[in-house]
Amino acid sequence: MVTQYKCPNCGSDMAFDAESGKLSCPNCGRQDDIETFPEENILQEFDTEEAKEYHCENCGAVILTEANTTATHCSFCGAPVVLAERLSGEFAPAKVIPFTISKDEAVAAFKKWTRNGRLTPRGFMSGDRIKKMTGMYVPFWLYDIDGTAEVAAIGTRVRSYTRGDTIYTETDFYDVYRGIDLSYLKVPADASEKMDDELMDKLEPYDYSELKDFKMPYLAGYLAEKYDYDDEALFSRVESKIVPYIDSYIQSTIAGYSTVSYTNKQIQANKSKVYYTLFPVWMVYYDFENKEHTFAMNGQTGKVVGKPPISSGKVAAWFAGIAVSGFVVLKGISYAMGGVLW
Amino acid sequence: MVNRLNWKAPFLFLVLCLAVFAGSTAVFAADSHIYDNAGLLTESEIGELEALAEEHSEKHGADFLFLTTTTTNGQPVMTYMGDFFDEWADENNQENAVLLTIDMGSREVYLAGFGTAETKLDNNRVQQVLDRIMPYMGAGDYGGAFRETVLTASRYMEFRPGANPESIFHKLWFQLGVPLLIAAAVVGSMVMNAGGRITTTARTYVDGTNTRVRSQQDRFRNKTVSRRRVPKNNGGGGGFGGGGGMTGGGRSFSGGGRSF
Repeated sequence: MVTQYKCPNCGSDMAFDAESGKLSCPNCGRQDDIETFPEENILQEFDTEEAKEYHCENCGAVILTEANTTATHCSFCGAPVVLAERLSGEFAPAKVIPFTISKDEAVAAFKKWTRNGRLTPRGFMSGDRIKKMTGMYVPFWLYDIDGTAEVAAIGTRVRSYTRGDTIYTETDFYDVYRGIDLSYLKVPADASEKMDDELMDKLEPYDYSELKDFKMPYLAGYLAEKYDYDDEALFSRVESKIVPYIDSYIQSTIAGYSTVSYTNKQIQANKSKVYYTLFPVWMVYYDFENKEHTFAMNGQTGKVVGKPPISSGKVAAWFAGIAVSGFVVLKGISYAMGGVLW
Repeated sequence: MVNRLNWKAPFLFLVLCLAVFAGSTAVFAADSHIYDNAGLLTESEIGELEALAEEHSEKHGADFLFLTTTTTNGQPVMTYMGDFFDEWADENNQENAVLLTIDMGSREVYLAGFGTAETKLDNNRVQQVLDRIMPYMGAGDYGGAFRETVLTASRYMEFRPGANPESIFHKLWFQLGVPLLIAAAVVGSMVMNAGGRITTTARTYVDGTNTRVRSQQDRFRNKTVSRRRVPKNNGGGGGFGGGGGMTGGGRSFSGGGRSF
């Protein structure tokens, strides 16, 4: 089943516009709210069989997709199409954060980011070799997590004082117990196999106040994927993500001791709710010195992540600059304190 | 031929004058710095230390003197030293000196600074020099003690009066090491963060209303007490005569002494 959004004015294919948050027509400029877009303008072609081949409604060309793709463009006429059946049933997303950064803004933000790279080679900094820029909705699982932690520890308080010519060191030992209720909301983990986990983690955080109930038109004009891993499979990854959070919370509840050694720590974390959610990501493919570098940009906040090339000359220059100026400053302090310069 | 010599003669005279003048500044620093009445040093040691004292005396315009004795004739070592210096100063027409006195009779050592050295080697610096030479005194290496005195006092006298020459800010390893560490840390974090930083924290996803301590207990269990004596930092016996004083001849000095 292929879905296209036809402009009620002129019949062109409409796409989601990140700046206004509406469906907009590239031809006549008409904009429609996603909530109120007239049903009759949603053009859907039902396949009679479970064919894995989709045809563009405009030109009839075969839409070539990977098995996970849920939204793409017709490779022949460029019309935005959404593959609805890959977004239904168990693959129906619950929530979506729409793009708020348009392609032009993304290009500008990326160029600005390359200029800020203090260690990147000069040629890289111009930011003018963007090979391809793809707006993509990446599937994430958001977990609401309930849990408990039971912690037993021995804490010490050390005090020392001098009486006469003897130094007394008093160490008080305490049995410390904490029973803790834990709750974390909407902890994300990316569910797409081809997205680098580390890269996706660095894109966080997203602003959840713009989390919307999922509607298909948000995808029009972008690429979208469906998940490769279900919520069960990814839960261990989320667990490993929140354990450090829990540890630091536990630590914050045991205050006022000189040392704390844990004798027993039991953490239980269960997912109470999961939301299948699509997050907006601009993928930037950048050519530099015959190598393609891939960067990802948070399509909501503009944060850029990815490994840029590092210029060893610049690293050396920074290191030498800081070390030498630090030496000069310390020499100056020494001189000001009555020392000699050489 | 004769003419030429005549022409050269005044020039030679001038060179001679210059040599005498240069010599006179050297003479201004005394020709003898070691007065080893107790016979603690060997001939070769005396020669070596004399040369060292000479070199540093010229550098500061103050003589580095070494006096040893087996007896002070019942006088305190400060008085004995003061009398010696009054005599020496009049003889050599030199008021600026650093004088290290060792009395083998009472096993005491006294370090004093006269004239310009009274401010350049003030009481605090005298104590710092003494700290450094006491290990030599304990080991019986009296020549080593004087060598250390000359080198350390000479180095201290480069610093402005009042400054603490042993401050960590004057150490080269500190001045080099700290900027290198800072540079490594800064550049290291720049490299690490070039690909984007993780900006989520433990508080990003926490549900503040439902994350709480349900029950808690901090129960006193037991207590241990350990005792140790206040450490004393006097490796080489007691100190005396700190703060300097005045010689019988009315010369004021900075100084300090220790027993060994």
